[in-house]
Amino acid sequence: MNKILISDPTLRDGNHAANHQISVQQIAAYCDGADAAGVPIVEVGHGNGIGASSLQLGESPIPDFDILRTAREHLPHSKLGIHVIPGFATIEKDLKPAIRAGVDVVRVASHCTEADITERHIGFAREAGKTVFGVLMMSHMASKELLAEEAKKMESYGAEGFIFMDSSGHFLPDDVTERVKTLLDVLEIPVGFHAHNNLGMAIANSIAAAKAGATMLDGTARGFGAGSGNAQLEVLVAVLERLGFKTGIDLYKLLDLSDLADRELLKEIPTIRSVSVVSGLAGVFSGFTKHVYRIAKQYEVDPRDVFFELGKRGVVAGQEDLIIEVASDLARKAKASS
Amino acid sequence: MKKLKVAIIGSGNIGTDLLIKVMRSPHLECGAFIGRNLSSPGMAKATAMGMNVSSESISYIESNPDCCELVFDATSAVDHQRHAPILRKLGKISIDLTPAQVGQMCVPAVNMRECLSEDNVNMVTCGGQASIPVAYALAQSHSGIDYIEVVSSIASRSAGPATRRNLDEYIHTTENGLRKFSGCRRTKAILNLNPAQPCVNMQTTVMAKVSNPKLDEFTKIFQKIAQTIREYVPGYETVVPPTIENNRIFTMVRVRGLGDYLPAYAGNLDIINCAAIAMAEEYAKNRRPALTEAGAPK
Amino acid sequence: MNERADKLVREDCRRVLDGREKQLAALKGDTLFITGGTGFMGTWLAEMLACLNDDFSFKTKVFLMARNTDKFQGVCPHLAGRKDMTLVKSDIRRLSELPKQTHWVIHAAVTPDNRFHSSRPVETMSTVSEGIAAVIRAADPCSDFKKLLNISSGLVYGTQPWETERIPESHVGGPVMGNVASVYAEAKRYAEIYCAAARSQQKLPVVTARPFAFVGPYQSLNTPWAINNFIHDALNAKIIRVLGDGKTVRSYLYGADMSFWLLRILVDGVSGQAYNVGSPDGISLEQLAGLIAEQFDPQPEIRIQASVPAVTQRTRFVPDVTLAAEGLKLSVKTPLKAAIKQTIEWNKLSRSTAVAV
Repeated sequence: MNKILISDPTLRDGNHAANHQISVQQIAAYCDGADAAGVPIVEVGHGNGIGASSLQLGESPIPDFDILRTAREHLPHSKLGIHVIPGFATIEKDLKPAIRAGVDVVRVASHCTEADITERHIGFAREAGKTVFGVLMMSHMASKELLAEEAKKMESYGAEGFIFMDSSGHFLPDDVTERVKTLLDVLEIPVGFHAHNNLGMAIANSIAAAKAGATMLDGTARGFGAGSGNAQLEVLVAVLERLGFKTGIDLYKLLDLSDLADRELLKEIPTIRSVSVVSGLAGVFSGFTKHVYRIAKQYEVDPRDVFFELGKRGVVAGQEDLIIEVASDLARKAKASS
Repeated sequence: MKKLKVAIIGSGNIGTDLLIKVMRSPHLECGAFIGRNLSSPGMAKATAMGMNVSSESISYIESNPDCCELVFDATSAVDHQRHAPILRKLGKISIDLTPAQVGQMCVPAVNMRECLSEDNVNMVTCGGQASIPVAYALAQSHSGIDYIEVVSSIASRSAGPATRRNLDEYIHTTENGLRKFSGCRRTKAILNLNPAQPCVNMQTTVMAKVSNPKLDEFTKIFQKIAQTIREYVPGYETVVPPTIENNRIFTMVRVRGLGDYLPAYAGNLDIINCAAIAMAEEYAKNRRPALTEAGAPK
Repeated sequence: MNERADKLVREDCRRVLDGREKQLAALKGDTLFITGGTGFMGTWLAEMLACLNDDFSFKTKVFLMARNTDKFQGVCPHLAGRKDMTLVKSDIRRLSELPKQTHWVIHAAVTPDNRFHSSRPVETMSTVSEGIAAVIRAADPCSDFKKLLNISSGLVYGTQPWETERIPESHVGGPVMGNVASVYAEAKRYAEIYCAAARSQQKLPVVTARPFAFVGPYQSLNTPWAINNFIHDALNAKIIRVLGDGKTVRSYLYGADMSFWLLRILVDGVSGQAYNVGSPDGISLEQLAGLIAEQFDPQPEIRIQASVPAVTQRTRFVPDVTLAAEGLKLSVKTPLKAAIKQTIEWNKLSRSTAVAV
């Protein structure tokens, strides 16, 4: 009863925190541990998914194919998942090779209001016989009704499950509860949730999702992920078990895995830094954090101002180039008024 | 000088917007506005403007070859594949606004003169029209470019169902164009749809990695080429001038459309139409007798 | 000629605004296109906008589109002659373009007059269905377009269950299927879902209003609605004839309130949402006749069961307006008694039922 399917994107969302520099050795070591702990799905790749290595978002030193092949070799039992955003990844250049590399689960994602760009990618992965989930990112930017409408499109394209992401860590538990309920009313496929921790709500929000009927949750070792990180996987699994949900994951081995991640993967454990609070409030994509720090420093502006201004302009994930525009604007205005 | 007679096939938003631009041009006149459905809004508008309209698609040109010397094809890639050989046989110049890629890629600020000898040119993509001149300026100022990347953000409302379905083709074609005009072998194109209200203008960022950046030289050439673009796309504006940030050369432009028939925020659609008109006017200005004779006998 | 009548209307607009003009500030300097601009709704919207422009320098440009604008020029010269108002003569089905600078559209074309729906069901359906398609097509190329307010109808819910005191937006119901009497309601349902499709595919911001019943100046007393019949009877010193047993329940919102509500929904209504527009205070027709009779001296006689044979079928048509009240801070500023008083006064001042549009 009450089974929750856990996806672990430590090696994907965590790449945001590692400037997309996670190495082949780290992937191998983490995958060994995750497989041993019985983590059902392990997601790997660039922070914004396959085909996203770029100057815009940060370059990955390793080609997608090598990342996937390494993970595949070290995941004899767990399923191998990828994140795919149309507009970055194309079927020909990115999705086909990924499937050749042995991917099991394809999660096709778009901004929360733009589900219709995922039709062909979902269709292709489905046709290739892979498990396909639809993902809507930045879901705080759509009302629950609109989110459900867009999710329904993904279901019609062939998605077998639907996950909504709180990419900015903006939600509070009630927001998640009402969205899950609306989604379950409308969809015939299972619903999942992916949390970020900007406002310290990642675990609480994930639990709210599960209680409202979501059956898929994402969590990462030590919360390793963009901005102030994701729902901390070992905590999430422990709390779920205590509440009577089953994950099929061996808790001791999961704790070992998390310790390994602590030693092998991370330079710093994600914490809620001041700027992350602002990013969560402003509703800006968590993946922007490192870029905002770097660019704010170069232009000598307050990163918090940059975040609020980006929020005002309604930027979506993938528009990292606007950080420079906003920072240079702020710098110009500061100069003019001084 | 006598105006060049053109026909427009495709009476959707793109075709209708082109019509308004043709009407304004001192070098072009519209001989026929052609679609499939006489009751479409574009047709209604053309009829109201007193245009010669037809719903017979390409066969209208086949049976009335005198209606034009140049054809703007604003239908679809599949249709243009079919139209191209027919138009060539009739001796018409084709300006292809579909992703069919039958003819030479045309970016007026870069290769307008070169295209004059072609009888079928393709207008690449919106991101291509905005970014290729920048990439070209990078190539002019550097001996070699390791990598070029172009990120475009457009208003969600400016992306119709065809654009949304064909993001992959957009990316591949833009990357192709960047390679061709910059000589750089590694290129990447990214497209974001932004749903913010009010609608955002199209913005395009060109980022490049070079071993030895020459920012001043690049800036000079970029400014000159941006000025050339502004001659046919008045709303082409520099948002972030060439800058070095995080070991990349970064340049950002914004394109506000003319708002003729398409909404002004749809700079992405407008820039292609403006480029197509600029190219057609260049054909008009450089008409040689041979070109006319190759067309239908007078 | 009707300066006093016009003044009454203007004073009503001011009273209803009641310092709330800031809630409509988003309209300042913008261009608003109203289809059906010369009907009851359109005229009241124009009155309110004229008031906002005159008293609060909104500088809002207004286009009023209608099939027949000549009559409007005769009836409302004080509006038709204004510099900030432009009349556009067109059949909604043929509307192909809007002024490029249009920011807002209120689609209020198509008469709610059920006599027209009965005799011309085909036109009713085609004006509603083709009209909404034309409006959306025309709005799409506007560069700075902000939102479309689609005027639907409270009738989309079908018959209100007698036990349901007020009908909320979430009510699941519908007009009787396959019945020609449902043409208007079904067409309006079609228009609502057409808007949803345009919102989903073209990302066009669109909000829906579901109007119930109204009272006030500019409503023709010839229309076959109880309140107008009663006022008409009373004004002509006739017996007020109430059909049925007088227990049927209606509610009425005053024209000035309605126009403020509609503008609020346009400006701040959530895209994709539908809002009931009307008064939540139901009143039986018997009581209504009494309220109207009170306004006259001598009071006219009221006759219940005035029709033969006596019918006892009771209906209710009253909206739940919690969504508008909570989401948009809307409330009823003109109680029914005052609304009736103003309506009678205006009709007396205008001295002619032909004035109504």
